[in-house]
Amino acid sequence: MALTRRQFLRRTGIATAGGLFAPSLFGNPFLQRALAQTIGDRYFVSVFLDGGNDGLGTIIPYDNGGGSLRTDYELARRSDAGGLRLAAGPGSGSTEGLDQAMPLTPFFDPNTGAQLGFHPGLQAFRDLYDAGHLAVIQGCGYPHANLSHDISTSIWETGDPLHNLASTAGWAGRHLAAEYSPTDIPGVTIGSRVAGELEQAGTSILAITRLNRFGFPLDAEYSSDNAAKLNAFDALYTEAANSGIPMREFIGNSGIATALAAESYPQLHNTYRNDRPAFDALYDDASAGGRTSMSRDLREVAKVIYGVAQGVANVNARFFQVRNGGYDTHSNQGGGQTNGRHYSLHREVAVALQMFFDDLADMAQGQSDGRQDLPEKVCVLVWSEFSRRVIQNDNGTDHGTQGPMFLIGHGVNGGVVGNHPNIAPVVIDANKGNTVYSQAAADPFRSTDLRDVYGTVLKHWMNVPQATVQAMLPLDPIADPANYWTAADFDLPLF
Amino acid sequence: MGDQNSPLSADEARHLLRRTGFGAKQRDVAKILDRGETRGQAADRLLGFKPSGFRPRNNSLYLVHNKWFKFMTRTKLELQEKLVLFWHDHFATSNDVVGNAQWMANQNRTLRLHGKGDFRVMMHAINRDPAMMDFLDTVRNRRSEPNENYSRELKELFCLGVFDLDGQPTYTQEDIVQTARAFTGWRVDKKGQAYLSESQHDRGTGNPGDPYPERGPKVIFKDNPAFGSAGYDYGAAAGTNYAAEIDEVMNAIWAHQDSAGRNTVAHWIAYRLITFFSDPEPSNAYVEAMVANSGFDTTFVVADLLRAIFVDDQFYAALTDPTKLSVKWPVDFVVSTLRVLEMKLKSRYQYIDGGSYDTVQDTLSNMGQLLLEPPSVFGWDWEGSWINSSTLLARYGFVRDAMSARGNGKTAFRPERLFAFAESPSADPDIVVDAVTALLGVSNSFAVGSGNRDALIHYLTDGLGGTLDFSDFETRDKKLRGVVMLVTQSPAYMLH
Repeated sequence: MALTRRQFLRRTGIATAGGLFAPSLFGNPFLQRALAQTIGDRYFVSVFLDGGNDGLGTIIPYDNGGGSLRTDYELARRSDAGGLRLAAGPGSGSTEGLDQAMPLTPFFDPNTGAQLGFHPGLQAFRDLYDAGHLAVIQGCGYPHANLSHDISTSIWETGDPLHNLASTAGWAGRHLAAEYSPTDIPGVTIGSRVAGELEQAGTSILAITRLNRFGFPLDAEYSSDNAAKLNAFDALYTEAANSGIPMREFIGNSGIATALAAESYPQLHNTYRNDRPAFDALYDDASAGGRTSMSRDLREVAKVIYGVAQGVANVNARFFQVRNGGYDTHSNQGGGQTNGRHYSLHREVAVALQMFFDDLADMAQGQSDGRQDLPEKVCVLVWSEFSRRVIQNDNGTDHGTQGPMFLIGHGVNGGVVGNHPNIAPVVIDANKGNTVYSQAAADPFRSTDLRDVYGTVLKHWMNVPQATVQAMLPLDPIADPANYWTAADFDLPLF
Repeated sequence: MGDQNSPLSADEARHLLRRTGFGAKQRDVAKILDRGETRGQAADRLLGFKPSGFRPRNNSLYLVHNKWFKFMTRTKLELQEKLVLFWHDHFATSNDVVGNAQWMANQNRTLRLHGKGDFRVMMHAINRDPAMMDFLDTVRNRRSEPNENYSRELKELFCLGVFDLDGQPTYTQEDIVQTARAFTGWRVDKKGQAYLSESQHDRGTGNPGDPYPERGPKVIFKDNPAFGSAGYDYGAAAGTNYAAEIDEVMNAIWAHQDSAGRNTVAHWIAYRLITFFSDPEPSNAYVEAMVANSGFDTTFVVADLLRAIFVDDQFYAALTDPTKLSVKWPVDFVVSTLRVLEMKLKSRYQYIDGGSYDTVQDTLSNMGQLLLEPPSVFGWDWEGSWINSSTLLARYGFVRDAMSARGNGKTAFRPERLFAFAESPSADPDIVVDAVTALLGVSNSFAVGSGNRDALIHYLTDGLGGTLDFSDFETRDKKLRGVVMLVTQSPAYMLH
């Protein structure tokens, strides 16, 4: 690998940064290796709602059906000033009600039969749902919920609530480490930190805030010396990568992958901007709900996918993560107010994802190369580290337990999977005020374990064999389905 | 085996200076050796500072940031600044939420004043710190619906940790709920002083005007060995002196015992300080020994704990065991590089003269450490989490800019001031490598026979037909700047 990389640098260090590479590089083992065996020509995007998204303010009971969800909801969420209750109707003035985002085909909680609605900030999700491209996965959680942001985030990232595994790699990262080598680059996090769900030490994940600022900083004063500098840089990092000392190896491999990617990735920005000016502008269009960090981050993902799908050399990422913060709504959460915090968070994410899929559909239009059928090849999983307290506080919500996830893509089975958690006052703990995790088959409110969702994605989207998935996401060793996760086939009807 | 009476070797002196300050200048290492300082003497000298400096009064965050940064690059109280960084991470508060530069500056001053003192005094101040009260919603904590945000982090991050050294939980959700009641009604007045608004305070069962009898007595730590199954009724302890409730909560926290009967706060803070100054993954025995050697579990004096850490053999283990090395924080990387190369940044915007004109605030942000705006209440992720493609490119870019800064002023990088090489037509690459790696404190990673050294030796004549002509200005300037750039970008220099 070192020799290959050295040749690569020699070739590219002298070439103008951002230029395309000679076709001969396609024979490079680096490239062959990076064409994934399992995910094939598909892509996976993880969207993290950082801070704990209020599930009860996201998918909201519209009526009671055969149970009491709406009644219980109204007990927990007040309607006065500071109240977070969404009206089961049109709303009034600048406060919208559930009618504002009601799907054409109403959807119902499988357990209670209660009709459910999207928070009105999620009108774009409603549209994706109506088109059959969005699945709502209800009641997602894990045994013995931890209400620390830090701990719960790492549990969602690793998919390992009870530390059944020795590894602390991310749940998707474990798959990547098994499939790719240290200097492959199968994934990109948009941001300045590598996403926990992709993190591991076996292969390289890029952290890129913006592609156009991702170039290697060469010395302009003595440009004739750049080749010599890159050669030495390569030797220093290769030495570290082979040092046998874990942190040095990590830094060595990270630097090597960075130098490689800094040559191949920045061009994706220009290519996209030149080829796709209309969509480039759409993500920036505030009147359409763009010009947000989410829309701009997803545009970076779109740029990379646009390059990968066309076989641009040394660009092979198929796993992505985008993070959107601000969900820790202890105060001033806002219910249906269009200028409220939760409303704008919802709108930002939903609109950006709709733009992203419109962009992918347009990229695929009339193409017969890797761009063909792109909307069917991309799947997005939206998650948060926990939900929020059933009973609101003054004008916000404290930390809670189970909440909904979303799976989006034209290859996804749209609909509702899993049960709404039980929010009746008699079952939520008076002190903790949270919903209860349960796997008991007889429990009509049976929860969805996050590992079942991850396992289904690994098995059905990344084509990982059942036995391998089982090893990556072991069942809890305690035979108590009320409190633990003890049975799974990773066949949630999501694909 | 050494102890506080062991004289410091050159390697040990360099290690001590680097971990307690920003880089190790060769003359500072020489001073320690000339004086024949022992570990204990050096630790006492480093810890003996009188807290001072830096009292920004400004409403603009970048000016507060830049003044702080400038202070770090010039101060003689390097350990004080290291401690301020540590506590800023520990009590991570973001102006992104607070939006008040003066409050952020005041908090920084609080960390400066109490950084090496009694931890209990620092917590007393933090509980009443306006920036913190705003950041974690104390100012929005009212009796009708107590807000748990501060109550949780007080335990999880500031004092106890979620889990103790043996992985056992240290508190329950009920403890959080009950503690939140103590902080109901605390507000900040117009002068920036904390006070208790009793009309917003949850007075507790049995007291006059308590509308929430169902919440029961204000009892915490019911299952903690320090208090028995009855727990600690901080409400009863404070009585009708409601403002004293938060201090009674703290009294319970100071007495809290972990699953092995250790003082939880002392071991949590010791664990954190050891991971910062000494060992990224300390054993339980290491943490226990430092607490025992310093009496930190009874005095809570941070300086005593640090002295115990700095005189112990395990502090110097990284010199022989590379797994104990630590990734330099971005601030450390930038400040120590500037200090060792004797450079300053330009103007109140603090940018590198002649570089990409990024302000140092942008540079640090790109490296993943925007001071005064930590990513969350958890502060920054350390060690390997500092390293990724994005942050590495930012480090490389800073180095490239710094090495390219030209001119005669102090904002320039002037290799001729740092190195006195003969202007010989056939300079010796080995001498150059020795001088550069010694200046940057990484000689051990570039020893004779190592691949690292070979790479630099090769680089020095690469493209020059095998000779290093230092009588030619361009060659000298190009290759000297180049080799300093390479060493500063190297994996070895990322660690210390």
